[in-house]
Amino acid sequence: MSLKISEIIDLIRRQLYGTRGIIISLISLTLLILPIIFWRLDLPFPANTLLLCLLYSILAMAWNILAGYTGQISFGHAIFFGVGAYTTMILMLYYGVTPWIGMFIGGIIAALTGLALGFPLFRLRSHWFTLATIAASEIFKLVFISWKWVGGAAGLQPPIVPSELALYYLQYAGPYIYIYIALGILGIEIIALYLIINSKTGFYLQAIREDEYAAMSMGINPFKYKMIAMLVSAFFTGIGGGLYTVRYRFIDPFAVFDLITISVYIAVAGILGGIYTFIGPIVGAFIFMPITEYVRAQIVVRFPRYYGLHVFVLGIILAIITLSMPEGVVGWLEKKGLIKRELTLFNPSKLKEDEII
Amino acid sequence: MTVSLIDLINAIINGVLIGSIYSLIAMGLALIWGVMDVINFAQGDFMMLGAFITYWLLALAGIDPLISIPISFSIVFILGVLTQKFIIEKILHAPLVSQITATFALLLIIRYGAEVFFGPFTRRVSTGYTGIILRYGAISFPLTRGIAFVASIIVTTALYFFLTKTYIGIALRAVSQNRIAAELLGIDVNKMYYLAFGLGVGISAVGGSLLSTFYPIYPEMGAFFCLIAFIIVVFGGFGSVFGAYISGIIIGVAECVSALFIPPTLKDVVAFGLFIIMVLIRPTGLFGAKLGL
Repeated sequence: MSLKISEIIDLIRRQLYGTRGIIISLISLTLLILPIIFWRLDLPFPANTLLLCLLYSILAMAWNILAGYTGQISFGHAIFFGVGAYTTMILMLYYGVTPWIGMFIGGIIAALTGLALGFPLFRLRSHWFTLATIAASEIFKLVFISWKWVGGAAGLQPPIVPSELALYYLQYAGPYIYIYIALGILGIEIIALYLIINSKTGFYLQAIREDEYAAMSMGINPFKYKMIAMLVSAFFTGIGGGLYTVRYRFIDPFAVFDLITISVYIAVAGILGGIYTFIGPIVGAFIFMPITEYVRAQIVVRFPRYYGLHVFVLGIILAIITLSMPEGVVGWLEKKGLIKRELTLFNPSKLKEDEII
Repeated sequence: MTVSLIDLINAIINGVLIGSIYSLIAMGLALIWGVMDVINFAQGDFMMLGAFITYWLLALAGIDPLISIPISFSIVFILGVLTQKFIIEKILHAPLVSQITATFALLLIIRYGAEVFFGPFTRRVSTGYTGIILRYGAISFPLTRGIAFVASIIVTTALYFFLTKTYIGIALRAVSQNRIAAELLGIDVNKMYYLAFGLGVGISAVGGSLLSTFYPIYPEMGAFFCLIAFIIVVFGGFGSVFGAYISGIIIGVAECVSALFIPPTLKDVVAFGLFIIMVLIRPTGLFGAKLGL
């Protein structure tokens, strides 16, 4: 990447000027104050939902760089989520590594898993790629179910630690502390993805999505750039898995490698918000998670007979979005002119001749 | 671990029998993909509907599972045509992501709709002959699996004659080979799409009805069979309907034989592993003529 630190700061500062800056500051401030309000008023349900919104924002943003920007629709992101979750848990449980570092290592292991999977998966295109990601995530689930060292089907659970070790093991009651951690991760992720999308790499990724053969004929190696997108995507998904581990303190293969509640939820959040937009996945997660959480917690938990209703609702949302608003909420607002389309700050005409490829 | 010859023969026979059911689901998928270039993620769930129709006909009206097969085929065929009209037709020329999410949304609606309306319970079909086990020396298998195998051969043969000997079948293949040329020759492509989707999911429903006689019925049963069907379609070559039949049996045998050597929970990994290897060494499949890349 050719960006210098000063240029990066400049790029971010430019985003914070004017109306957009005011809106971003207001939203950030609200998100910072909300957990305190929920905590003082003792409202666990909205706080939990907020945490889930943030968690799925992290995941959907990561998914979108592969799906939206590179055009490789993955329904197998549960793999990276699960690998990140298991790495964090195993490091904490067997080696006493603090999750602060464990989450990061989980991201790295997930990224390496992504690289290894990229070799067979990127040989396939379009639907078949999607399909192979589902098959791969089923393999991971089945292997983790029969793998005794990682707890098998019973899963893993860390012991309760005394309160003076709470910071080291990140064990706090309720979702409140974790909301701030999620906000921190999301903030870093937004900046990192923003820089990637607005660099030459981001430009190449979109070229591959639009027309892979044309991109190839311009000298772009699609495999290499798909791998880069996969690496970044898997890294942040793995960190999201680590966050899940420290928040819920229990993982089993059925929960973290689940096709519906992980892979498909992520994809729906991204598609609902608009996969061709930068902030779409966050908007999608904040619309979609409250609905599905409300249905799940208020109806499905109370009446187990209606198990599956929240996924049924999800299916209907997905069908409506697909058939009537395929560009997503943010994309639709942009089309109507209610939001100004984010201009890419990367300007190809500024490149020197030898830098173009 | 030693495996006796009898165990091996039994595993192969059972593999062929279960593989023939896999094949029925996979053939429907291959037909839809071949004609319309659409991947139907909800294929396994139309199969589940077939199984449930058989169950309800037996439970409510006392209709024998074997007699209910044509009924379940017809109902699911009509459902398939309606799906084509109201969902698939709208996304045929849409971007890739819409094509994927449309059939995936269909999957969620059918599977979890069944869960909500039928309840998340496991049911079984039992008639006078579901408990009978055929024995020949040390070789044995349930009668219902044998019936399912014979029925799958009949359905496949009928499909073969339909696709090669009748005008409509030949028109369907023409659309699959070249849509524009077929249109120029006066074939109504949209009607062919209705037929392909209805037939594709209808064949899966027959598989579901046959499966219900020896397999527990529950709303999420389609998940596993759908994945297996995809693997079979990739294995047999994209869009090759009869390649799908043969490779379905190969996958069934591979699964049952490997279950003798490895822990049963890892049995399904063999099928998925074969899929990944296939993708790596021969992406066009065993019998593939149509390039799937």
